[in-house]
Amino acid sequence: MSTEATTTSEPSTATQADALPLPGSARALLAKVSTRAATAWHRFEPVLVRVGDWLNPILVKETRQALKSRYFLVVFILLLALCWVATIGAVAVIGPSIYYGASGSTLLWIYSIFLAVWMLIFVPYAAFRSLAAEREDNTYDLMSITTLKPRQIISGKLGSSVAQMMVYFSALTPCLAFTYLLRGVDLATIIVLLAYAFFSSLGLSMLGLLLATSTQNRVSQVFMSVGFIVMLLFACFLGLNGAYGAIFSGFGFRLLDSTEFWIFTAALFTLYSTSFALAFYAASGMITFATENRSTPLRICMLVQQAAWIGWMSYGWIYDQFRLQGIVYMMMFAGMYWYIMGTMLTGECPEMSQRVKRQLPSTKLGRVYLTWLNPGPGSGYMFVIANTTGVAVICVLGMIASSFSSTAGPGWPGADEVTLLLILGWSYLVAYLGLGMIVVGALRRVAEVTMLASVLVHFLVLLAGSGIPSVVQAMSVEMRDLDYSFMQVTNPFWSLSHVADGGMAEGYVLVLIVPAAAICMLLLNLRGVVRELQQVRIAPPARVLTDEAELHPPPEAQPTNPWDE
Amino acid sequence: MIRTATPQIELRRLHRVFDQTHAVNDVSFEVYAGEVFGYIGPNGAGKTTSMRILATLDEPSAGDALVDGFSVVDDPDRVRRRLGFMPDYFGTYQNVNVREYLDFFARAYGLTGRERLSAIDAVMEFTQLDTLAEKPIDGLSKGMKQRLCLGRTMIHNPSVLVLDEPAAGLDPRARIELRDMISNLAESGKAILISSHILTELAEICDRVGILEQGRLLAVGSVAEISARAEVQSSVHVRVLEDPQRLRSWLAARDDVAELRTEEDLTTFNFAGDRPAEAALLRAMIESGFSVVEFGARHKSLEDVFLHVTEGRVQ
Repeated sequence: MSTEATTTSEPSTATQADALPLPGSARALLAKVSTRAATAWHRFEPVLVRVGDWLNPILVKETRQALKSRYFLVVFILLLALCWVATIGAVAVIGPSIYYGASGSTLLWIYSIFLAVWMLIFVPYAAFRSLAAEREDNTYDLMSITTLKPRQIISGKLGSSVAQMMVYFSALTPCLAFTYLLRGVDLATIIVLLAYAFFSSLGLSMLGLLLATSTQNRVSQVFMSVGFIVMLLFACFLGLNGAYGAIFSGFGFRLLDSTEFWIFTAALFTLYSTSFALAFYAASGMITFATENRSTPLRICMLVQQAAWIGWMSYGWIYDQFRLQGIVYMMMFAGMYWYIMGTMLTGECPEMSQRVKRQLPSTKLGRVYLTWLNPGPGSGYMFVIANTTGVAVICVLGMIASSFSSTAGPGWPGADEVTLLLILGWSYLVAYLGLGMIVVGALRRVAEVTMLASVLVHFLVLLAGSGIPSVVQAMSVEMRDLDYSFMQVTNPFWSLSHVADGGMAEGYVLVLIVPAAAICMLLLNLRGVVRELQQVRIAPPARVLTDEAELHPPPEAQPTNPWDE
Repeated sequence: MIRTATPQIELRRLHRVFDQTHAVNDVSFEVYAGEVFGYIGPNGAGKTTSMRILATLDEPSAGDALVDGFSVVDDPDRVRRRLGFMPDYFGTYQNVNVREYLDFFARAYGLTGRERLSAIDAVMEFTQLDTLAEKPIDGLSKGMKQRLCLGRTMIHNPSVLVLDEPAAGLDPRARIELRDMISNLAESGKAILISSHILTELAEICDRVGILEQGRLLAVGSVAEISARAEVQSSVHVRVLEDPQRLRSWLAARDDVAELRTEEDLTTFNFAGDRPAEAALLRAMIESGFSVVEFGARHKSLEDVFLHVTEGRVQ
């Protein structure tokens, strides 16, 4: 706002200089300097205005609000006061040994507590409340009908969190630097600590925003708020544990020389960045107008996350000398991941809006490869199947590679077990998602089924399939003492663990039943899938084309030769 | 009023269903540039729901609403650039002053640099908030907050304004000022859809009205058109020099006269006819030999029309 204020009140520098009781030469010099300063300011001002225009409006507004907010002032002054008290207290306690002792690590640990509380509790909770309060104060509606995109709203809120973090860092960083001067802690530890605090805070803020967008109901918001605080306290506890280890392990710079540390950090960063992107697009999708395409960006994020996951698992598998165990873990995590994602993707609205239809791929190649990214439960189901099939193919290739490796060696699991697990895991996923989709489809005929309700339906179906046979077996006098029976064919957890434990005889039977069931479910859902696949791109209305031409006029034709006018 | 070929607001068989409630039921109407369209109906009639759909805050269950030719369902982003919505609540931020509030919304509508500054200045001047630029919005009176909200609504110079109960809770002076502002906006060519419970005010500024009850649009048109269509009668009083009983008998014989009352020399009755019919009635009285010394007709107000058209049902 300061830039705007200056535009309306341009001070007359000469008049101001004249008003001062100065000798003539000094007054002339002062006037000259003032005029130059004013000229420089007038040149600089448009730059500031441009920078201000480039900034996210929400970031600008929230920074202004924060600077005037009592809450922010109290929290910041409290942090400063604590840092000062800790520093002065520590210096007093250490006493003369401050000149020769190595007491930095203890003080760094104390600062880490402040860092964790402020970064892992206050900042993420403020992000959560910031968006939740917009709904409570009825300002969210006003903001959502502006031309701000949902992604801008989320990134603005995140930017505001980053601005807060920077302010808190500015209070803490001199103290952290002071611990370095006290010896006993090296710069690498401090930098790693700050970096982890920053990214953890940013990640938790993103999670807070995702939770804030997930419900509009006040009661749910209260429950979510309590749950989020508990989560933040737990994150703070974990962060402090990690900080304690980093500070007192004494690794320091040796950590930076360690290949394992960098590999671990790179793997963690891959997981962090892909999950962050997924949460970001999910939060944006939650506040996006229902007729817009909210699914495709999320599916792309899932694809990228899966690719990163496969990459790191492959690295781990090679590092582990091609042992088949790695393949089993890859399958297991991929199965869980795609089941959870599948419960949401198959809960998408089956009706495709005109707006989405305008953006459908139009080329044959595009239709073949990109149709699976289109929104809709049918395409979501096929997207999950395609991805799990992709993982299965990679696992098979891995098995073949393992068979050529001399280092893989014998032991658990054998190639037969892995093959059975692969087929059964894929089949259970396809069957359960397909069955859940049928139930959701039936419910949709009588009531509106939200995505959350769809997720619940899927989990209930899985729970029924797994729980009912277990309960029946536990209640039956004849079967109670039996280990695994074919009654558990609908229980994927028991069946898969039984095969993994070497129950090959049952495995060979299951491999006939479960894939057949999966194919049946796939065929039953095929009608809906085909209906979605038959959707074709439609032309935008003439009014939209006219508006588009007005907004983005084609560039004027440039002369291509000297004779052109 | 400038009547353009394409309507600025168009509701096409709009429906909105919430569980068991049909909040908006097959509503269709059009509003043109420069026109003020009054949207009236009892509480729960579906006014706010249809306005929220127009403002892209809600989706219709069926049908469509168009703003400047763009569907609120398929092109909400294009609609938002053209529409300013003033809801029936304030929605103000804490620790923000008037200028900062308007600046935020100007930025949110994509206004940059000098364009943004001049838009803020213009809006503050129009709403007469320029003297309160640095005042925190928490400390503003209700009337001032209403002005600020109107200012926010028009910060991006939209061609369509949707105002939900803008005069609610305002004192008489603030109401008159708001009414003048709305009239000025309409004169500048904006299409305005306005809902209010204060029907006398709507009657003064609206070119046309739509009467809504239980989600259904019962009547659309100017007050006079609706009165005529609904056969709302005007109230006529006649004073004659002698023989009011003969006048009573003469009037009682006519089909277009009802609810006849005579008190001394004054006769009052309801008359089903427009202005020319009233003139013809007066002429007929004089030709029949009545010494008419006073003849007056009061046409039904918007309130009368509203009460006549609606049945007071709520859902």
